[in-house]
Amino acid sequence: MRNTTCLLFILVSLTITLKNVHAQGPPIFTDSPYLLGLDGGGIRTFGKYISTGNGQTYSQPLIVPYNVTTNYQIGGVQPFIIQFPDNGSSKSGFGNFTLFGKYSVIQIDGKAKTFRALMKFSQTFSTGASNISVDTNVSQLEFVIGYITTKYGIYGTVGYTFVSNDFPDNLIYNFAFGYPLLPQKYPPFQLNLFIELNGTHTLDIENNLLFVSSGIQIITSSIFLIESGVQIPVVDDRSATKFTYAIGMRYLIF
Amino acid sequence: MQSRRRKSIVIFIFCVTTVFAQSNEVTVRVDGLSCPFCAYGLEKKLNDIKGVENINIDIEEGLIILKIVEGKIISEEELREKIRDAGFTPKEIVFTNKDKKTREKE
Repeated sequence: MRNTTCLLFILVSLTITLKNVHAQGPPIFTDSPYLLGLDGGGIRTFGKYISTGNGQTYSQPLIVPYNVTTNYQIGGVQPFIIQFPDNGSSKSGFGNFTLFGKYSVIQIDGKAKTFRALMKFSQTFSTGASNISVDTNVSQLEFVIGYITTKYGIYGTVGYTFVSNDFPDNLIYNFAFGYPLLPQKYPPFQLNLFIELNGTHTLDIENNLLFVSSGIQIITSSIFLIESGVQIPVVDDRSATKFTYAIGMRYLIF
Repeated sequence: MQSRRRKSIVIFIFCVTTVFAQSNEVTVRVDGLSCPFCAYGLEKKLNDIKGVENINIDIEEGLIILKIVEGKIISEEELREKIRDAGFTPKEIVFTNKDKKTREKE
């Protein structure tokens, strides 16, 4: 029973995490307010390997964004998930499908710096394979903000997640500080360091989960980056998560 | 006196038009360029403009230098629109042809 609860917790967490895969560039676990930087007409993929105290999960989503206007973007996310639980055999299948919309509300640009904010709404449908996905519909509303210069980047997110089927809702909050180690140039060759705080407050049961995260990101060309990060729980009311390790890449297919 | 002023205006317009038409390099100051990985979309948009031969992006200075194919004309309005579409803010645009320059501000 405890393992099932832990697995469900990981799946819901993964579902929430997958909202970030369409982030346009850094940081690793926190969303970015860049709306159109990577040209919304492209298709992206972002593989992520998550290791927790209960097993490992690999997800490979395909993200198709479309710019309706300069300020408004819609898109879809379809992940493919492979799970390697510590107790039991591995399983794989398509995860739940997510539709999202982003609307830029603030954009103040200066020389080599920008201050941006956007509202994001996403809806995840329980379309995934039953052995790999949670049978819930998840709606999420987020406010994403960031001040990004060529010297550093500060990012923040607050959001509310509505979960169906009697699962409790979540309040999420993220903060990230990014520091590039190499001079900024284009085509890019970058080495970026991140320190992040990623928190979830689960309502009804009043549980808190707060990670301190550190990560490194290597950008080798204008269409490819590889990144890795570790999330260590500093507050975990459920004592369910030992750590999360993620290694991923973002590749612009065209 | 009025005829002299008209003549000056005509000469000025002729000069500007000539330089615009023969520009082989365009330098654009773009605000909001703070993330090299995010500049890819901008490069893609600018590559859509007919006549653009080469694009050089200087992130630190916020400058984009476009090399234009000999004899091709690119419109300032199209350039500004592509930059806005990519999510950035176009500022000064300088059309250059050898030693001649014309500067236009937004």
